Amino acid sequence: MRKTEPSGLRRRTTSLLTALSFVVLAVSGVLAFFLPFSIEVVGLHALMGFVFVGLIGIHLFNNVRAMKGYLRSRALWVSLAITSAFGLLFYFQPAPIKSLLGLSGNFGPAMERFEMSEDGMVFQYAPAAEYRMELRVKTGSAYDLQNPPQVAIWLENQGAYHIKTLLTPEGEGLPYWEFKHAGWERAKAEAGKEPDAVSGPTPNGSFDPADYILPADAENSTPYKLLIEINQADNDQSSLVYAVEIDNLDPSTYQLLELVGYPKREDEDGKEAWSLFYVDASVGSALELIDSALLMIDRR
Amino acid sequence: MMNEQTDRRNFLQKSLLGTTGLTGIGASITSTGSVTAETVSQAAEGEIRDEVDVLVVGGGTAGHVAAIQAGRNGAKTLLVERGAQLGGMTTTGGVSFPGLFDAWGKQVIAGIGWELVKEAVELDGGKLPNFAKVPQRHWMNQVYVNQFLYAILAEEKCEQAGVTIAYHEFPASVEKTMGGWQVDCVGFGTRRRVICKQIIDCTGGAEVVGMMGFSRLREEETQPGSMLFQLGEANNPGRHQLHRLYVHGADSSNSRTVTKANMTGRKSVLAKLRKEKKRLMHLQPEAGFRESYRIEGETIITVNDYTSGRVFEDAVSNAFYPVDLHTKNGVKPKPLKRGKVPTIPLRALVPKGSENVIVAGRCVSSDRLANSGLRVQASCMGMGQAAGAAASLAAKKQTTPLKVPLAEIHALLKEHGAIVPVKRS
Repeated sequence: MRKTEPSGLRRRTTSLLTALSFVVLAVSGVLAFFLPFSIEVVGLHALMGFVFVGLIGIHLFNNVRAMKGYLRSRALWVSLAITSAFGLLFYFQPAPIKSLLGLSGNFGPAMERFEMSEDGMVFQYAPAAEYRMELRVKTGSAYDLQNPPQVAIWLENQGAYHIKTLLTPEGEGLPYWEFKHAGWERAKAEAGKEPDAVSGPTPNGSFDPADYILPADAENSTPYKLLIEINQADNDQSSLVYAVEIDNLDPSTYQLLELVGYPKREDEDGKEAWSLFYVDASVGSALELIDSALLMIDRR
Repeated sequence: MMNEQTDRRNFLQKSLLGTTGLTGIGASITSTGSVTAETVSQAAEGEIRDEVDVLVVGGGTAGHVAAIQAGRNGAKTLLVERGAQLGGMTTTGGVSFPGLFDAWGKQVIAGIGWELVKEAVELDGGKLPNFAKVPQRHWMNQVYVNQFLYAILAEEKCEQAGVTIAYHEFPASVEKTMGGWQVDCVGFGTRRRVICKQIIDCTGGAEVVGMMGFSRLREEETQPGSMLFQLGEANNPGRHQLHRLYVHGADSSNSRTVTKANMTGRKSVLAKLRKEKKRLMHLQPEAGFRESYRIEGETIITVNDYTSGRVFEDAVSNAFYPVDLHTKNGVKPKPLKRGKVPTIPLRALVPKGSENVIVAGRCVSSDRLANSGLRVQASCMGMGQAAGAAASLAAKKQTTPLKVPLAEIHALLKEHGAIVPVKRS
């Protein structure tokens, strides 16, 4: 009995769709390297992945005879071995791969994940196999998913110096984070060292995030803070800052972030400075942007 | 007046010239014919006798505030201080940033202590912190005062309140009487018998309470003291903190231990000076002490009470500072959780089983960790005012501080600007 072959038009259409979706997938994949927290880019890449998988299925069905031929080919097994090697390498991410991924954006998608849904935001940070941080922000009643507020997440040492940005905001509008981040950039420039090795510009110890997050000498580690600044661009209220202190000497798996205050510009000796002020009557609906923010740290 | 001063100056100059022109001091005294060793002794002693309502022992951070409050309430008040000025740790110790008066965006400690701090800062052209601002670190809302100015202002306010100050004196013995206490104080060239209705012990280590035989608490190893100094650059009072060296084993219990602490501190400063080859620009006359004895009071403030911000039924003042235990390895302050403001109950100021005596300051009845936060100056000022109010009211009513209606103590404190803790329902 003669098998029905797919029509030429169907075959060509499927092949072209597969090829074009592959191009979109590849380009969005490369873009995700540079814009790891762009909802548009990551969304495009992920959803196009589903389309691509579907098209591959049709493509395989259309070319089942040719595929059977490959099974007897040595090239198939060589290709499979190479693809598997890349797959394993990229999945488990040994140090060189991590360094490469570290060039992505501010930190590298290897260590961070950011997701956003109607219920809130989830930010994951796993700088080591034995250390996983997850921040769950439940959105409040004033949170507009269609027009989401700007958010920055960063770490500060006990001296209140910025040591690492975990989530860089898109655009402007988060003055406190910008002030802190700019101070860190300035300190880096003054120290003339790499971002992860800045130390000594202040009397407050190391600027190397690893010294706080995964200290070599845990007994002598100092607490550090995780902060969120959030701002709804189209309201006339100030941004708000939430924070929690993390102490590796007194570890807690779950900690709630607390509202610290709102930033206000002050000039100190003619220099621009931003300080936080306790929330007063000038803050209204901004208080409803976040319902709660829970930090989970899994130290294995 | 001018003539009198000129005459006196001339007299002194002549006397001095007279002595230098003679062969010895003994000869000069003899030559005057009117002053002998015997008459000097009699003139100095005459056993001064004071009858007062309230005797405040120790003019430090809590003591001068207690005395001013008692004096302002109309009590005849005597303040006995072993040193040469008021202010204690703020002035003599050089810790001229007297703790935190605010918590979580609002002022929690005010009253007489704050009145003095504010006036000292304003007169000095300094700057008061904005309490609406979130401090990035726990000490950032500290108020810097000019220690020299503060000491003078404290003295002025005592005098204005009618308080008699007796410097360079300390109680040698305390005896219970029918209506209060008989306290014999000694200073150089002075012996003073004080008959008083109430005693406020603000010695830091509850030394008078110890003399009375009431129970006190003490750790085997106490927190180090600090010797404050300035190397290389001039001291800028009221603007910056001084340099600090730990004096391990510093103990304020008596003149011998204080002598030892001061000498140890100065030796350390000298060693540092030699090592760093810088000029010594300032040195405090005495080490700052953090810990010695605490009383065992009618209640004891625990660290859980402190960190949870428990509002005691008989709370008379607020306190605010991290749990701040200094050890040989330094200090890692543990800030209080958001919204928490510890309070001080009146019972923690009263030695267990006592009458007619109350304490204020770092000897407050508390466990060690709670005390590491309570001992800070602003909190001690609050306690001082509360003790001054309770003791002066007790003296008026011929009763003991614990029997004074709490509402009257609160009312008096409020009248004098203090912030009284409110029990939240």
